[in-house]
Amino acid sequence: MTSLMKNENKKKLIELENIHVDLKSSFETINILKGINLKIYKNESVGIIGESGAGKSTLIMCIAGLELISKGKILFNNVPIHNLKEDDLALYRSKNIGVIFQSFNLLPSMTALENVNLPIEISGNFKNNKMAMELLTAVGLKNRIFHYPHQLSGGEQQRVAIARSLISNPEILIADEPTGNLDKKNSEDVIKLLFQLKKDFGSTLILVTHDTTVAKLCDRIVKIDNGLIVK
Amino acid sequence: MFLETLKNLNLSFRELRGSFNEFKIVVASIFLGVFIISAVGSISKNLKSEINNKRAEMLGGNFELSTTYQEFPKNIKKWLDHNGATTQIIELRTMLSYNSQSQIKRRIVELKAVDNNYPLIGKVVISPNQELKLSLNTKKNTKNILIDKSLKDQLSINVGDLIHLGKSKFKIGGIIEKEPDRMFSFATFGPRVLLSGESLVETGLLKAGSLIKYKIKFVPNNQNKINLAFLNDLVKGTNVSIRSIENTTNNFNNFVDRTSIFISLVGLITLLISGVGISNGVKGYIIKKTKNIAIMKSLGAKNSKVLNIYLNQILIIFLISIIPAIIVGISIPYFFSPIISQEIFNTFEPSIFFEPIFISFLYGLITCILFTILPLLKTYKIKPIELIRNSSENLLIRSSYKIKVIIFLLICFLCVLTMNLINDKKLSFYILISMTGSFVFIYGLTNLKFYILSKINFKLGTTFEYIRKAITKSNSFARSIVISFSIGLSLLITLNIIESSLDKRITIAINQQAPTHFLIDIQPQQIEKIKTTALSYLGDNSFNSQPMLRGRILQINGQSVQGLKVDKEVEWVLRRDRAFSWSNEMPKNTKLISGKWWPKNYDGPLLVSIGDKIAKGMNVKIGDKIKFNILGRNFEAQIFNTREIIWENMDINFVFILSNSNIANAPHSWIATTKNVGQNLNNNFVEKIVSEFSNISSISIEESYKAIKSILNLLIIIINSIALITLFSGIIVLSGIIDVGKKDKLYEVAILKILGATPRRVAYLWFKEYFIIGLISSVVSLIIGFFVSYILLNYVFNIEINVDYKTIFVLSLLVPFLITLFSLFRMIGLIISKPLVVLRSHF
Repeated sequence: MTSLMKNENKKKLIELENIHVDLKSSFETINILKGINLKIYKNESVGIIGESGAGKSTLIMCIAGLELISKGKILFNNVPIHNLKEDDLALYRSKNIGVIFQSFNLLPSMTALENVNLPIEISGNFKNNKMAMELLTAVGLKNRIFHYPHQLSGGEQQRVAIARSLISNPEILIADEPTGNLDKKNSEDVIKLLFQLKKDFGSTLILVTHDTTVAKLCDRIVKIDNGLIVK
Repeated sequence: MFLETLKNLNLSFRELRGSFNEFKIVVASIFLGVFIISAVGSISKNLKSEINNKRAEMLGGNFELSTTYQEFPKNIKKWLDHNGATTQIIELRTMLSYNSQSQIKRRIVELKAVDNNYPLIGKVVISPNQELKLSLNTKKNTKNILIDKSLKDQLSINVGDLIHLGKSKFKIGGIIEKEPDRMFSFATFGPRVLLSGESLVETGLLKAGSLIKYKIKFVPNNQNKINLAFLNDLVKGTNVSIRSIENTTNNFNNFVDRTSIFISLVGLITLLISGVGISNGVKGYIIKKTKNIAIMKSLGAKNSKVLNIYLNQILIIFLISIIPAIIVGISIPYFFSPIISQEIFNTFEPSIFFEPIFISFLYGLITCILFTILPLLKTYKIKPIELIRNSSENLLIRSSYKIKVIIFLLICFLCVLTMNLINDKKLSFYILISMTGSFVFIYGLTNLKFYILSKINFKLGTTFEYIRKAITKSNSFARSIVISFSIGLSLLITLNIIESSLDKRITIAINQQAPTHFLIDIQPQQIEKIKTTALSYLGDNSFNSQPMLRGRILQINGQSVQGLKVDKEVEWVLRRDRAFSWSNEMPKNTKLISGKWWPKNYDGPLLVSIGDKIAKGMNVKIGDKIKFNILGRNFEAQIFNTREIIWENMDINFVFILSNSNIANAPHSWIATTKNVGQNLNNNFVEKIVSEFSNISSISIEESYKAIKSILNLLIIIINSIALITLFSGIIVLSGIIDVGKKDKLYEVAILKILGATPRRVAYLWFKEYFIIGLISSVVSLIIGFFVSYILLNYVFNIEINVDYKTIFVLSLLVPFLITLFSLFRMIGLIISKPLVVLRSHF
């Protein structure tokens, strides 16, 4: 009740209404999300948990505009984004979303600094080396800025990915199991860093994780099971 | 805009880092085609420019005036001498004999008698070094001649040896290293022999009726006033022909143009086949870059941005490939300059021309964009969600309306460029239609084969079923392999069938019909004695002779032949002097096509019999009138019949045979042929005639046949090399396909090994798979090869098809083996790979 009252005072950032995602193959149609309703508020952190195949990643990819929904509505700052065209979705992502993947997804042919700069270059702006270096310093990679991904450890690569997600100063940080490929020590460091930077940048964090300990660090936990929110 | 482009380029470069290796096939494909086009263009431009610079030297003057049989009219010669520099040349063919210790060696040579002014432009280079004038005008009793190096080699003679020409004895004074006007006075029947005009008179070879060319090379004092039209007016009404540097160089330039068009087309075909390689290379590259594309899109990159990045990369690779291709291409004239200097020009200084660089650049660029646009569009289909869902294997997309328009426009541009390159609308239309037709035909036939293969529904065993599915699946590259190899192989098969059919036709003609020797320049007073000798040596019906004179056609049905539209194939008849014969008796073995022969005792107005195909090409028929100029006099004859001329029988074939008239009283010569009655009898007869009559020359058909065959062989070698180049393009395509499919094959071999397959078994499976692909290519090529050669032999060459099945069989197996061995060689590493390592890295 207290949490609900708290949320009502906050500004609504994302609203999902009856979201369905169906994947069609030549043999069958799989319903991945079966009617998700969810509101996410500015500056909060939401932990999304659930079994493998429950639809956690699909849900956050819908918010990121990376997955197309079959039915329902997605509102960002009360503006519908579910019916945007591909290029408008790309613009939405570049301005508002920072994504961190489980497998880092850095471009192997670019250095850490270039990878961090990539989102602003892609949006057609001049690269911002000063800010990229500040971010890499903030994630503890001051001495690794000219290293290529293959010269970095898994934890270091994920730090670069976090720095990259923040370069455009996005409103929403989406992290899809960011510690899934890391050992315990690196996982703890990355999570600590993620929450610290979320606080510093004032972003909203949506975090998909298997780890309930990590989820508990969030303001709110959403549990998904078989394509539906159960908690 | 400019800033945006720079930013995109910068990003493209960085994304390309470490991926250059992926493009080696694309680089090789672009390099090969562009190199051929730029090299041929540069050589052709250089040759034409050099000819234009040295055309006066090569013609020997600004104008060449010539007459046949008769000396120049005195007034014209006097006028020329007064109005510029002149040199008079006499040319004729005759037998040169050399009395070696054991035997008399004879050789037909092209005599060229020159005066003291020769050459007006340039210099004759003689070995050992000496002055031409001094060498030919020695005061000694035995005069000097200069000979070609080829004659020295053929007769094993050398400087200082004595030879005979006509009734005179000469000493070989030197070897001709360079003859400045050689290029435009082709010596076709034999090696060149140079001597002075006075020496020629002493040989006694200047007999009335002999085929003698009198030439004057002329450099006018007033070059503005005295032009071709002026000189044509001057010689009007005489039998003097004029060649100017313009019309002579035009002929040569046409020859260079035609040759370079032919080779440029090879470059274009290579480029188009390479296009398949480029397309596959880029397709594979995009598949490999799926993850990167998805990352960029997840970070907010629009489709157009991604397309831009990868298009930039292709253009960077294009530039990397094309720059060395063009540099090597334009360097080719420099590499060949010593040979070109030796064979064509005295000195040849190559230059760099912009046009071939521009043309080859454009061809390369259009082909590159044309073949990469569809694979590049696959970037549109890659979704950022691929990062969490691996579903990029089948990137089949339907191209949009806009892309179809772009592709259509690019093809149109390529056609326009080709038409500009060929510079002959009709020819370029045929070439473009045949090229498009061949591609469509090969593409259609290949798809049909694969369709049939995919629909086979009966049990052929697990192995075959595995292979059948592997090569007919929607993302298989087997079609590309078949198409790229079929082009080269079908060309090889077509050539082989045409070659063996032509060969058979010539062999039959030589063995059954063709004469063994030609005897030329027989004087009218000698012919009866020769006929009698022939009867005793060769028997009846083995000696054929006809009188001969040369003249020109002036008018057809009252219309001047200059500017008259006739078929290209018969233009040669009207162009220069032609040989005429006359007879009231129909020559032996004549087959009339229309009309009838005139009566034996015919004594009326002049009639003419004309070759049927020539008549059709000139659009004339029975009853039409043709005006000739023979020995300076005009004669008008009415066409009375048309007859078949079979050039391949190599017998006496006159295009025009006139009825008996007072032409017979003009100085003329006879030409004769001997039929094969036994090599010794024929040789003895010819030896008897040429030794008794020194003015008569003999030409051995066997030797001519060998010469023709060697030219034909050269042509066949050139075209076969082209076919091999196209096969090489096929190997480049195959190599690219193997690179692209390597990851899948690696995974496949790991699974097969886990299931218990030995490396030998895997190799055997792939051997069968690629051999079947090769066999499909062979079948497609055989169908196309037989079809095209049948059409060409029936409708162009008009000869019966003859197939050398043994060679065709070997050729058909060439591609399956080439594909199989090359593929297995490239995939040895995969066959011996460790399955567990592969599977671990795959997941």
